[in-house]
Amino acid sequence: MQSLNKASALQTQPATEPVRRLHLPQKLRNLELFLLLIASFINAGAVVLVQLGALGELDPTLVLLGAGLSVLVISLHVVLRFVARDADPFILPIATVLNGIGIAMIYRIDIAVDDSGWESAAVRQTVWSALAIFCAIIVLLVIRNHRVLFRYTYIAGLVGVLLLFLPLVPGLGKEISGARVWISVGSFGTFQPGEIAKIALAVFFAGYLVRNRDSLSMVGKKFLGARFPRFRDLGPILVVWALSMSVIIFQRDLGTALLYFGLFLVMLYLATGRLSWVIMGMSLFLGGAVIASQTLNYVNGRFTNWLDALNPAVYDAKGGSFQLVQGLFGLAKGGLLGTGWGQGRPEITPVPQSDYIIASLGEELGLAGIFAILALYLLFVARGFRIGFAGQDDFGKLLAVGLAFVVALQCFIVIGGVTRVIPLTGLTTPFLAAGGSSLVANWIIAALLLRLSDTVRNQPRLVV
Amino acid sequence: MNVSELTLLVLRIGFLLLLWMFIFGIVYALRSDLFGQRVRKMKTDVAPAASAVSAAVPVPSAEAFTAPVARASPTTDAELATSQNTTRLVITSGPKAGTEFPLGTDTITIGRSSDSSLVIRDDYTSTHHARLMLWNDEWMLQDLDSTNGTFLAGSRVTVPTKISLNATVKIGATSFELRR
Repeated sequence: MQSLNKASALQTQPATEPVRRLHLPQKLRNLELFLLLIASFINAGAVVLVQLGALGELDPTLVLLGAGLSVLVISLHVVLRFVARDADPFILPIATVLNGIGIAMIYRIDIAVDDSGWESAAVRQTVWSALAIFCAIIVLLVIRNHRVLFRYTYIAGLVGVLLLFLPLVPGLGKEISGARVWISVGSFGTFQPGEIAKIALAVFFAGYLVRNRDSLSMVGKKFLGARFPRFRDLGPILVVWALSMSVIIFQRDLGTALLYFGLFLVMLYLATGRLSWVIMGMSLFLGGAVIASQTLNYVNGRFTNWLDALNPAVYDAKGGSFQLVQGLFGLAKGGLLGTGWGQGRPEITPVPQSDYIIASLGEELGLAGIFAILALYLLFVARGFRIGFAGQDDFGKLLAVGLAFVVALQCFIVIGGVTRVIPLTGLTTPFLAAGGSSLVANWIIAALLLRLSDTVRNQPRLVV
Repeated sequence: MNVSELTLLVLRIGFLLLLWMFIFGIVYALRSDLFGQRVRKMKTDVAPAASAVSAAVPVPSAEAFTAPVARASPTTDAELATSQNTTRLVITSGPKAGTEFPLGTDTITIGRSSDSSLVIRDDYTSTHHARLMLWNDEWMLQDLDSTNGTFLAGSRVTVPTKISLNATVKIGATSFELRR
């Protein structure tokens, strides 16, 4: 009792000093720096081993380019020290290693096909990485709190749909190997706006579901042990289904369609906790895919290549399973420990540096290397889920899980296609594959996850 | 081609080992996330022993170095709050009496500023008032030079002080306890 009186007697002078930040040691950032140094060492080691294996000598130019990536990620780390001190310490090192291994593999294929200078995909990939990390820094500086994105839910949805259909605009869109998902950007090459669209759509789905999930989850009739939604609540899922079906028909891209629809389905399941949505969505998509495989030639071809890959007739056919089977041969050649950097022949497979980079890596690093890469993806995605799990607001939860899941699903679609688990569809392997738009998109996802994890940790546990 | 096959083989295996060490390094760093906080086993056997130890050991050592600390930790037979035996912080009086939140191993900062872990917005609280942190696995209460002081079991905290389980910490009009 006495202490209470003393306390109230002493309180006459209010605290007037300006609000300073309490100095606490940045344990998380120091851990991140340590992991980043190891990551940079791994990346440098990969480039050096490629040169030793493929050239038999050390050529200093690309080691310098590799160092460029390290300088960039360290600058991102310094930015984090100031604007997101409590962000997750594992996301940045994992993304760095994946990006660096990708550059090393692309460089290795450049050596095999004798590309150099601006023609070299590795140089372009490094420049794109620089641009992508710069975009990530901008995102971290501009978006100081993820709840800002909640205000732009519908704008994000509109932007996502526009970006998705941008390649269909005549004169702007460009068709490469059958799929029309690129736009040409002057002399700098091509850009795949659909990659950026997946971020915009994740923001839109999160915002939309947080606003409307009650009507999607609470009402409806019970049937066969699961609660099914009312007919009028089916609107959103039908719209997204129509969207992904039109991607299959007009852009002729199975993978992108599956990616968006899967993203929506998972976020819908998260928001409502109802299995009936997943059952309905999956049957809708499977139905659409089966019809597409009967009517659209290219989808039918993909299914034939998948089911009957080792048939010589299919193997030799134009647009047949040659690429898929070459990738499998490469993986088989790699065995447990691989042929070693620069000592395999991944260049035999068509597009070994983008869609098939995982087969190229499997050939040169073996099963041990592929599993290491998959473990890195697993950790990256698990961090994203963890951030969503720890989040206090529903929008942040949904967004974090959505962004992490889109990376996971993309990995599954590409790697599953290359390893003949599912029909092959062209998507980029996140962070690894050659392709600027994919790098930019995935680094922005990494930046958003970093921002989300910082706000989650920084929120007071309790306000009295 | 002056690099021997053997060198390349060693380098190749070395690279894979490095990659896997990186992965296991990350997994080791986030082990508490994956497997949860360490659980104290054999509660019934350890508890009396622990209280006996805490009664015997800290008092002389504390008195030898800093007399106020020894005086401030009021009942030496009460069990000290450590990271193992403490799981939550419970508000016992004030506007939010009865609420609680789980304690991890992170430092808990208390104050009026919104970057604190426990934000107390009343007239008695300073911007950065106090903090709770783990020192050698024991929860310590440190007053951050607050205007109105932090009180542990009725006496004002001037130096970082060990907290006993269920001892009342009073900041302004709010008091809380660390509990199992």
